[in-house]
Formats: sequence, C-alpha cells, structure tokens
Amino acid sequence: MSAEFLLEIGTEELPSSFVTHGLRSMEQAGNDLIRQARLGSSSLDVTTMGTPRRLALRVRGLFATQSDRQETVVGPPWNAAFDQDGTPRKAAVGFAKKHGVEVDALRKRTTEKGDYVSVEIHEPGRPTDEVLREILPRLCAQITFPKTMRWGSGDIAFGRPIHWIVSLLGSAVVDFEYAGVRSGRTTRGHRFLAPQTFELRDATSYVDALAAAHVVVELDVRRQHMLDALVRSAKSLGGILEPDAFLADECVSLVEEPFVVPGSYDDAFLALPDQVVIAVMRDHQRYFAVRASEGGELMAAYLNVVNTAEDPQTITTGNDRVLRARLADARFFVEEDQKAPLLDRLRKLESVVFQSKLGTMGAKVRRIEGNARALADRVGADANAAGEAARLCKADLETLIVYEFPELQGEMGRWYALREGIDPAVADAIRDHYRPQGADDDVPDQLIGAIVAVADRIDTLVGCFGIGLVPSGSADPFALRRAALGIVRIALEGPIDVDLRMIIDQAHAQYAGDADLAPADQTRTTLDEFFRGRIRVLARDHYEGDVVDACIGAWQGGSMRDLRTRMDAVAEVRAAPEFEALAIAFKRAFNITKESARGVVDPSLLEPGPESELANRFITVRDQIREATTKRHYAEALKLVAKELGAPIDRFFDEVFVMVDDAEVRENRLRLLGEIADTVNGIAHFHQLATKLERRDPAVPA
Amino acid sequence: MTFQELILALERFWAEHGCLIVQPYNSEVGAGTFNPHTFLRAIGPEPWNVAYVEPSRRPTDGRYGENPNRLQQFHQYQVILKPSPIEIQDLYLESLRALGTDPKRHDIRFIEDDWESPTLGAWGLGWQVWLDGLEISQFTYFQQCGGIDCKPVSGELTYGLERIAMYLQDVDDVYELEWATGIRYGELYKRAEWEWSTYNFEQANVDLQDRLFVEYETQVSALLGLSDKKGKGGGLRFDREPLERLVLPAYDAVIKCSHYFNVLDARGAISVTERQRYIGRVRFIARAVAESWYAQREALGFPLLRPAAAAQ
Repeated sequence: MSAEFLLEIGTEELPSSFVTHGLRSMEQAGNDLIRQARLGSSSLDVTTMGTPRRLALRVRGLFATQSDRQETVVGPPWNAAFDQDGTPRKAAVGFAKKHGVEVDALRKRTTEKGDYVSVEIHEPGRPTDEVLREILPRLCAQITFPKTMRWGSGDIAFGRPIHWIVSLLGSAVVDFEYAGVRSGRTTRGHRFLAPQTFELRDATSYVDALAAAHVVVELDVRRQHMLDALVRSAKSLGGILEPDAFLADECVSLVEEPFVVPGSYDDAFLALPDQVVIAVMRDHQRYFAVRASEGGELMAAYLNVVNTAEDPQTITTGNDRVLRARLADARFFVEEDQKAPLLDRLRKLESVVFQSKLGTMGAKVRRIEGNARALADRVGADANAAGEAARLCKADLETLIVYEFPELQGEMGRWYALREGIDPAVADAIRDHYRPQGADDDVPDQLIGAIVAVADRIDTLVGCFGIGLVPSGSADPFALRRAALGIVRIALEGPIDVDLRMIIDQAHAQYAGDADLAPADQTRTTLDEFFRGRIRVLARDHYEGDVVDACIGAWQGGSMRDLRTRMDAVAEVRAAPEFEALAIAFKRAFNITKESARGVVDPSLLEPGPESELANRFITVRDQIREATTKRHYAEALKLVAKELGAPIDRFFDEVFVMVDDAEVRENRLRLLGEIADTVNGIAHFHQLATKLERRDPAVPA
Repeated sequence: MTFQELILALERFWAEHGCLIVQPYNSEVGAGTFNPHTFLRAIGPEPWNVAYVEPSRRPTDGRYGENPNRLQQFHQYQVILKPSPIEIQDLYLESLRALGTDPKRHDIRFIEDDWESPTLGAWGLGWQVWLDGLEISQFTYFQQCGGIDCKPVSGELTYGLERIAMYLQDVDDVYELEWATGIRYGELYKRAEWEWSTYNFEQANVDLQDRLFVEYETQVSALLGLSDKKGKGGGLRFDREPLERLVLPAYDAVIKCSHYFNVLDARGAISVTERQRYIGRVRFIARAVAESWYAQREALGFPLLRPAAAAQ
C-alpha cells in the first residue's frame, strides 16, 4: 500500500454552490481516473474537503506501484491484415504500432466469427507517482462548476482563478502543471488571519496544519462548528436559532473558519410581517433570525456568520447600519403598498404578459375567477368568496415588496388583505393557492384555497397544452408537471374532489376570446393522457403498479377520488385468498371476448349445467353489481363478484368449451362472457392485474 | 476622509500601480463600464490599465432626494486591469488600506455576484465585496464584451464611492457626507436628485425620448456602414473598411440609445414585452460597434501590443 495522497487546488473565493459542486465532481473524477490507471481497487478511499479558497482531495489505499496490465487485445480480421503470403498490410502495421509492438508479435486468434489478429499485451506497472503525474492534469480538467471563467491571458476555464496547487504523495511532491501553475507543497492559511504561505510536511498533516492556520477544511466539521456557534450565540441572546438549511449551506462555504457575531435592530421594525424581516436578513445579508422561543416571536436580533472576528464590535456596528437601511427600505415598500387596495393592482396586471400567445396576467386572473366560481358551485362552496380570492390571488405580484422579495408572493397578498379587512378565508386562500409548492409541501387545507389553487393550475395547463406547449424531457418551463401533480394531490389529500373532465372543459371555455387554443376535445385528450401519467407516478407510492394500471384503465377521467376508491377496493380485495382464481377467470373472460360482438344472451341457447348456472347467477346479481359500481361502492361490488360469480365462472371454464363449432351456441356463450367481462371491467381492468401464475410462467397470455 | 479625499486617494493608489488616470465620459452612462475606456478597450488582445471616476445615471433608482441611500446619479470609481493580474485581489485589498481601512479589523468577504449587461452584450463572473455586510465594490472578470470573447480577460474593480464614504465618515444619510470640508453632498446633489427624479418619472417627454432612440439607432448603422444583409453564418456585414468607419461617434450613439431606453423605462413607457425588444436593439448596435472597434485595431496592427512585446 502506498502513502496517503493529497491534492489541493488553491483558488480565489469560490461561490458556496461551486464548492459543493466542484468537490463532488473532483471525487468522481479522482475515483474514476485512479481506478482506470490501475492505482487502486476495493481498498481505495477517496474523500474531498474544501472551503471557498481551496478544493482538496485525499486518497488512501493507493497501490505502491501500478498493477501490471496483462491482456489479449483482438484487432482486425486476419485476412484484412495480411496478404495470402503473409505480407502485412496497412491494418496489421497500424494495429502493431498502436500497441507498441513489432508486426512479428501479432498472433492469429480463431473465433466463431473467423480469424483475427491479436496481440498479448504485458505492461509492467509503473511507480505510482509517475502515473499520478500523468493523470492529475486530467483530474483538474474534469472538475466542473455551475459556471466557469477564464482569467488573465490563460485559456483554462475554472470556477475562479487558480493560485496554487499542492500535490503530495506521502511527503514527496508529485510534480505537474495545470493552468500555468506548478504543483508543490506550499499552501496558504486564512486570507486575513494567517496570510503567510507555508509548506506542508506531508499529506497526512494537511487537516491539522490548516486548522493551525485558521482554516477548517473539512466541510462537515466546519458546518458543525458554525451551527454550534449559532446555537450558543442565540442562547446567549436569550432566544433560539431560527433554523434555515438553505442559509446554513450557503454560509458554511462563505468562510474558512466560522465565527458568529450577533447584532440587533430597532424593535419598531418588528411591526413588519416576520417573513419580510426574515427575507431582508436572509436574502440581502445572509443573517440568521432569532426567536424568543420555539415558534415564538421574532427577536430584534440577528446572527451573522463571518470569516474574521478580530474586532466584533466594529463588525456589528457596520452590519447594524446596513440592516437598518435595508429594513427601512422594506418598511417603505410595505407602507407604499398599503396606500392603495390590492384590487387596484389588477390594472397593472393587464400589462404583464403571462405567456405571449395566452395574453396578460390580467386576463389570466379573470379566467381563474371563472374557473373558481364554477368549481365552487360544483363542490357547494361559497362562489363569491372563491371569486374574490381568485380576483386577488395575483395582485401582490404588483406590490413593491413582492417585486423585491419574490418568494413572499401569496404571503404578502394575505397580509395586505387582512389589513384591508378582507374575509380571513379569502386572505388565507391568496396565500394557500400557491400550495403545494413541491413534493414536501402540504396542499391547501381550506375550501377556498384549494378551489383557487386548482382554478389557477388548470388554466395554465389548458392554456399551454392548447397552444402545444407540452413538456418534453427535462424541458418544462411552465412547471406543468408540478401543476398537474398539484391538482391531483389537492383532490386526493385536500378538502375538495376534482372532476378532471369538468375542470378541463371549464378552463378551455374560459379561454374564449383570450387565446386561440386547440379544440376542447383535442386539449382534453392530450391533457387526460398527461394527467394519467402523473397519477400513475404518484399512485405507485401507495399502490402496486398493476393495481394502479387496472384502475386507471377503468377510470373515465372524471372524479379523482373515484379513482382512489377503485384502487383502495382492488388493493383490499386482492389481498383475499380467493382473488387469484377470480382474477385468472375474468382475465380469460376478457381475453376470449376481446374481439367478439356484444348483445343479449338468449337463454334458450344456454347449455344446462355450468353455463346455465353462471348465466342465472349473473342475471340475479348483475343489477346489484352495477348499482354498487354506479354508487362507487367498488369494494362492495368486487366482493359481490367474488362471492356470487367466483365459483360458477371457475366451474364454467373447467367444464365448458367456449369455442364450439355451432356458431349460434358459441356466439351466445361469448355474449354471456362478454357481458360479465364488461360489468367487471367497469370497476377495474382485471386483465391488467398481474397474477401469480403469470409471474411464474410468462407464456400465459395476459 | 472627505469624498474628494477618497477620490484622490484612489487616484494616487492606482496611478502608483501603473494605471492611466483618465476622466469621466461626457455623455450619460449607467455605469463606468459604458465608458469607452472600458467597453472598447476590453475588446481585443491589447493590454490596458486605467482608472477613473464615473458619475453614473440610473433613472429608475431616483427617490426625489428623500431616500438616504438611493440616488439616480452616483459615483463609481472604475479600474480596469487587462490582462487581469493574478494578484488583483491583493491589490484591491491594499487599496482599502490606502483608504485607512485595515481588512483584518473588519469582516471582508467576496460574495458571488456575476455581472451581465444585456444591452452591451457583455458579461463576467466575479463578486460583490462586503465590508462588515456593506457592499462596497464589484469585482468582475470580463468574459465577453459586445458579444466578443475577451482574450485576454480584463479584471474590473468598481468602487461604490458614496457607500464607502458613508462608511468612512460614519453617516447614515448620503446627503450628510462631506464632499470637502464644509460642503456637504446634499448641497451639491439634493436638489439635483429631486429635479432629475421629477424629470425621469414624470416630465420627460416620452415621444421625444422615443424619437431620439430611433434617430441615434439609425446613426450607428450609417456611421459604420452596417449593411442590411447578413454575412456568412449570420455575421454582421459592413460596407465600409474598418478605418473608414466612425467607431467612436457610433459608440456615442449606442450610449445615447441606452440612456433614452433607461429614461423611457423610468417613465413607465415600456411594457414587459417591448422591454426585451429594446434591449435586443441596443445589443445589436453595441455588437456592431464592438466588431468595428476590433477590426479597426487589427487594421492598425494592435499598436499597444508593440510596447508590451518590446518590454518583455
């Protein structure tokens, strides 16, 4: 085993996201290149460390020397490489040259496909440092960043300019050059606290040597130091830290050694909504907020993660001043915004483009209102409240504070609405209609919010699909997948059911006069397909894939809760022991009648015994099953099917031959089976359900 | 340190570090970058080190002289080092020492802030520099200018003079700054802020600005002999030889267009959709000027490369 290897690339201050991104690609490249170069295998241990001013790679478990290469390389067909008399042609000479051997060394290799030229390669392993020297420039070149730049007169692009490179195998320098910088053992400490350059004795001393120079180079360790200091500092202020994962990720790589300096602001700013104060501190200054207690009131204080804290009082004074000006700006925005009611903002939305072919945001708001009213009527909610919420839901986009802090959309609309004395249910809906924002976010839990959320999303979906803006691959600029998923989740988890067909047609009708969409039925068909795709993905987290497919197959594209009831019912019934036989029987009934004509069964043609029994039993329970199905009592319907038809249909298939020569009898039989299959398929497509037999023997037709 | 002492200290510092000290441009610009000493000189292979003050106009930032931090005209101190020297950050920090600020006593950080000027077809990567949470400078490595790759890369340092002065003089209101002993910033500019804010937001004649925009836009093509037809691969075509083109007057016209666009924007006369189109029009003429400048310097044999080569 070889000594530990260290690579450190010293740079100008990399953005936080570049540090994480760069380290990830560095680890990947290190692993790949070292393995490809036969310098390590299973015991190889590649780790990365980094700060804004350095990306480092530590490799343990390298071989002391590269392992030997021993392999047979097969080349061109023998006949193409040599003439009849054995004179080498171009192909033979080229192949030999490529592998660094004489033509004499080429051998004939006989395979099933014919004779080929081959060569035995034996390459003894070379010293590890020698190989590293060759691969390290490539490793550096394979480090990637969200954006790269050139500097000075160089052509190399990197996250930020490179200043030094340390490359040590044990205590020896592995010499190479990248971006005009020669590797060595000289590194640097903290830019301000230990600015001198210094030499590293060996690779293993790296972390400690940097710690002594005020650099905590291991990212996790630095993060823990930072979080501990934040928590301590909040406590000393008599409060608790407002956790913020985004901010923590950002701050940890804005410093090489984290210090926390607290500061404060005038209590009067606490009259602003908490979210505004937090947004000002977080977005503009990257300060953490402090609360009096868990979920309690905001304290007029902040915590600042800094890189240098020789003179904390000076730093606090400076930061307090900046924050004061920022908060004063925010207060000005909020005061200005309140000089006119939210409703006045609708006029401005008339000149904001939603999408060039779909018109303005003003038009969109009118459509949302139409959709929301229709939906409210349908679910028995207050249509006026829904209409008002829809009318106001985008108004805050034209406020100064949301222009400054886009992430406060909805929140500020609600806050301003409450100030104006608008019904709290309407105000809440302004905020909640943006939910769910992502997979982890809850859906709106109140009626009006859920209605406007659906009304807004279906307008976007129908509009975009109507003009052919359909997501493809990773391109989904209007986040249509998320919009569709949002509607599905609201219907399944929220306070209202959604009838997909109804909302699509409703939203399409609203576009009349606003935009030139594809015809309603065409839009409905493509959107129906799109929604089924989203539902499939979502439902597979809760149901088995074939249950989902079977139920989506039988579902007409209307009520989404109806679909869920079907899936629950099938999942429940499927767990019963007799299900297996039943599924196989109905699958047979479906398959055999797939192509046959439907019609009324003629009792006189029924053969006494299993066929008559099945027919009689079916006629007895048919209406009950259909009624249960219509009432969406799918579990009940399925249980009826199992209880009443299970045994007779099994016996039928055991004892009756369907495809008899007598056409009249055969067609009558098919009509009976067809009607049974259709009745059951109205609940779920049994032929799409996998059965155990099928899993055992894939030859059984589905 | 008064405002004028601050300027003098920076002038002295950068003069001592090999920069040509030049004067602000005599037309309305939004930033020091618009000055031809930056925009044009950043293009092409010739070295260039320059520093100057630039009074910069941002019509939409006007607050009628009522906001203690926002101005429609403020002062930048602009430094261009081409090619960007590897010690450029150290030079910058040293310049702060020249202003009496010891970086070690403060929290100084380089925070990601990429820069893009859509109208100039220019962009770069870099930082804003924070001094105890206050953004005092912008630091950019130019990657493209007028749509042309920057080779070598220029390093641009832009000091926000009002911000730095407020910190140095420990005042919360820009109008309270001492420009020189006994004369405050407000004396010089408070009334100006009110008048220009009123003009930009309320009284600027929209038709006039719009007409001027179009007239100057047309001028650029005329002065450069820019053809209506495109060259191979969609490139620009010129009917005049490089040395026949009037690049500097054409660039002046680009600056005017950019300014009138800003005033129209402040007047609320440009809708969101039109906005992109105006920006695209300015970018187009800026590119024509940039390409012409490059062609002209090339025709002249890149004169500034000669002393550099001789020195080596």
